[in-house]
Amino acid sequence: MDAPYRWKPVTVRSQYKGGITIKRYTSTVLLIILLAVLSVWSLFIGVLDIDPANLFSGDLEQIEIFLISRLPRLLAILCTGVGMSVAGLIMQQLCMNKFVSPTTGATISSAQFGILMALLFMPRSTLWGRAVFAFVFAVLGTWIFVWFIQRIQFKDVVMVPLVGIMFGNIISGVTNYFAYKYDMTQALSTWLVGHFNMVLRGRYEIVYLVVPLVIIAFIYANHFNIVGMGKDFSENLGVHYNFVLFMGLTIAAMITASVVVVVGSVSYIGLIVPNLVAMFKGDKIRGALIDTALFGSIFVLVCDMIGRVVIFPYELPIELIIGIVGSLVFIVMLLYRLNHGRKAVRLGGKPGPNVSTMEGGVEA
Amino acid sequence: MNNAAVRANQRKLVILAALILLCAAGYMLISVNFGNAKLFRYSMKIRTPKLAAMLITAFAIGGASIVFQSIINNVIVTPCLLGMNALYTLIHTAVVFVAGSGSLLATNGNLSFVVDLMLMGIVATVIYSYLFEKTHHNVLYILLIGTVLTSFFSSIQTTLTRVMDPNEYDALLATLVASFNNINTEVIVLAMVVLAVIIFVLRKDLALLDVITLGKEQAINLGVDYDRCIRHLLLGVTLCIAVATAMVGPISFLGLIIANLARQLLKTYRHTQLILGTTLFGMVVLVGGQLIVERIYSYAIPISVFISVFGGAYFLYLLLSTKRS
Amino acid sequence: MKIKDLTKKYDGRAVVDSVSFEIPKGKVLSLIGPNGAGKSTVMGMISRLIARDSGLVDFEGKDISKWKSKELAKRLAILTQTNNVQMKLTVQELVTFGRFPYSGGRVTPEDEAIIQKALDYMELGAVKDQFIDELSGGQRQRAYIAMVIAQDTEYVLLDEPTNNLDIYHASNMMKIVRRLCDELGKTVILVLHEINYAAFYSDYICAFKDGKICRFGTVEEVMTKENLSEIYNVDFEIMEIEGKPLSIYY
Repeated sequence: MDAPYRWKPVTVRSQYKGGITIKRYTSTVLLIILLAVLSVWSLFIGVLDIDPANLFSGDLEQIEIFLISRLPRLLAILCTGVGMSVAGLIMQQLCMNKFVSPTTGATISSAQFGILMALLFMPRSTLWGRAVFAFVFAVLGTWIFVWFIQRIQFKDVVMVPLVGIMFGNIISGVTNYFAYKYDMTQALSTWLVGHFNMVLRGRYEIVYLVVPLVIIAFIYANHFNIVGMGKDFSENLGVHYNFVLFMGLTIAAMITASVVVVVGSVSYIGLIVPNLVAMFKGDKIRGALIDTALFGSIFVLVCDMIGRVVIFPYELPIELIIGIVGSLVFIVMLLYRLNHGRKAVRLGGKPGPNVSTMEGGVEA
Repeated sequence: MNNAAVRANQRKLVILAALILLCAAGYMLISVNFGNAKLFRYSMKIRTPKLAAMLITAFAIGGASIVFQSIINNVIVTPCLLGMNALYTLIHTAVVFVAGSGSLLATNGNLSFVVDLMLMGIVATVIYSYLFEKTHHNVLYILLIGTVLTSFFSSIQTTLTRVMDPNEYDALLATLVASFNNINTEVIVLAMVVLAVIIFVLRKDLALLDVITLGKEQAINLGVDYDRCIRHLLLGVTLCIAVATAMVGPISFLGLIIANLARQLLKTYRHTQLILGTTLFGMVVLVGGQLIVERIYSYAIPISVFISVFGGAYFLYLLLSTKRS
Repeated sequence: MKIKDLTKKYDGRAVVDSVSFEIPKGKVLSLIGPNGAGKSTVMGMISRLIARDSGLVDFEGKDISKWKSKELAKRLAILTQTNNVQMKLTVQELVTFGRFPYSGGRVTPEDEAIIQKALDYMELGAVKDQFIDELSGGQRQRAYIAMVIAQDTEYVLLDEPTNNLDIYHASNMMKIVRRLCDELGKTVILVLHEINYAAFYSDYICAFKDGKICRFGTVEEVMTKENLSEIYNVDFEIMEIEGKPLSIYY
């Protein structure tokens, strides 16, 4: 009785207004344009000046820098942004909690633990060997975390991420213990603070794994949506709850691990980006997935550009910029949500920092 | 009322206290050269301040954790989640960054304690009072924001260390790991005075703790000015943590372990007993842990790493053992 | 106790919209109405648990916000639905808290006697040393009522006291409510979902709809077919049992 009543006016209105398809994709198109502009711009920021004119006239040295360093860096940034934000979106959907993410779900710290194990037991392992360790541990860590929050009594919205953060602290504690014990703190530190300055051709390609994983996530987006509604709900619709849940978590964990292996820990993107996008687009995962991915890569790109410019010619690791910018954005977002409820911000222009000035409309 | 239970608890506390005396005696006397009076006195001079520092830390962190848990009405949280540790690290780094590692501020232990404490007290009070108002006294949100602030502070701190002189960074690094070594007697006295002042100022609010346990609505029903009381207590908690952290450095999880051990042992809501019990447990953990670190690992692994690992395991146990409602 | 123009807004929408009524002393008053009609919010505002946006709550000649919280706690007790204590607390210890407004943490011999009487009154003597979280729902509810009795207030406010109780415990709870009024002379105000409990056990009914008072009067005045249909938008029949109007709805 209730359900048709609720969505009926929406369809009526959209048919009446017409042009809904264009309107629905405005944000996506705007984000693509913005991303393209920023990407091109970012290619020409660096210690060595690269001139587009020289590039096209065939200056070999410049083309080499471009192909070995600048382009890989841009691609790694894009993959990081897409991957971490989509991983966050998937985890939030599956756990039915807007504050769960690779950071608050112990995924990142598990991946780091895996890398440490690889360093300890297979000191000569290649990047791929370490990646395998990171995958296994990240997946296990995330599974255990979710298994935990299913078993514990405190189901408060805020309690779940807190448990995740403490769980992550424990894993980092163990990691630290081994690092101290076997004198590995220095070696491990590369993976503790995410940065892009080691991204060069031949050293970063693992991060491409993000692409197929995100595509799989997109295909199964509706399944994740259904599982997010709860166990009984999904069994009723013939979706295998546990299977989809753990597959989804595995995808999110693999995405996270492949980023951590190449770049190091990059927190907050998985937490902030999906939430910001959901403020505009609602919680339907398929509709939000592309925008989340685009916005995530814009976010990382902008932060990286800040990091490269602030103490030029040196650069600050991306994790620090994101840690500062991201935590501030997150706090503002939390307070906004607390004071305004879960209002959706009506789409009137390009989404972004001017959230507060937009007209608020109540969504459900 | 229910005198039997109260007396049983008192007995438990006495036994615990005896255990601590034993631990403390062990700590003071193990591998001490009794034959040589000079060496003996030297060992005592080194070890007494350490023991006193552990006592104060146990009291400050344990008491703060018990109060904090009661405010939030949840026994698996710890005030470490408020981000105080990261704030300490940041402030300490900032002081060294601005003044330089060779300056009086960094080399004089007393001065650096006072400066750290004051800055932390002021910054924490400003931030958390602001948050209290903004979140309409929603403590869970404050907690979540606190964890976010943790990474905010540590990001800035790491940024500072990247920019600073590598030599200065080496000097700084040693002071950022929790340690009971090299604590001046003056600092210990000062810490005690500060704690005493906090307790004196908050004595009325502390007396309301038992009622606060009943939850917000019941507390208001019984005539407690809830929001004001919580605000005072939370500030007290931050200051206590500030004192402990400024004295020995950041220790996470200690509060969680000892507060829960005390709650499990005493099974009461009475905060006088709980706080006493926590302090005693804190002593056991710290003195015992320090013994292991010094005698078995010969200082190779900092005690804070130990506490994180064991505290973490205990936390998981707690999570699983709290039965579903 | 007089309520005048009480208003509460959430996100600009008035959930309680200038409500005025007077609480009859020494009687049982039930607040009823559909979900989201504002009953519990009104209850929260007259017991100072929820801050109001405008209006007056005149309690014995003085606005409720002007009262010292501790003094008010001796005159007015409120019991909400959310009573989840995480701490280990026995029944007796819980009831002892009822004396807190009078003697703080220290329990005097008079307090002791009052606590004992409250425990006996609620027939909790056998379980007084058990922990609250180990009791059944009905017992736990009774323990909280015992605390309210020990608080010894003239006014007792109960927010959905029958919630989550089975028929046996719920009707027992309502009988207790009646006794609080008849034997102990208290003024009881309750929020109820089950209108027949309201009809059978209370003296007055105040019906809310859309944040406004829809009907206010004695049970007989409010419990008519037309009134109830208007309040709930459902068809009603009224029957009379033991001289009280009871409703059937379908």
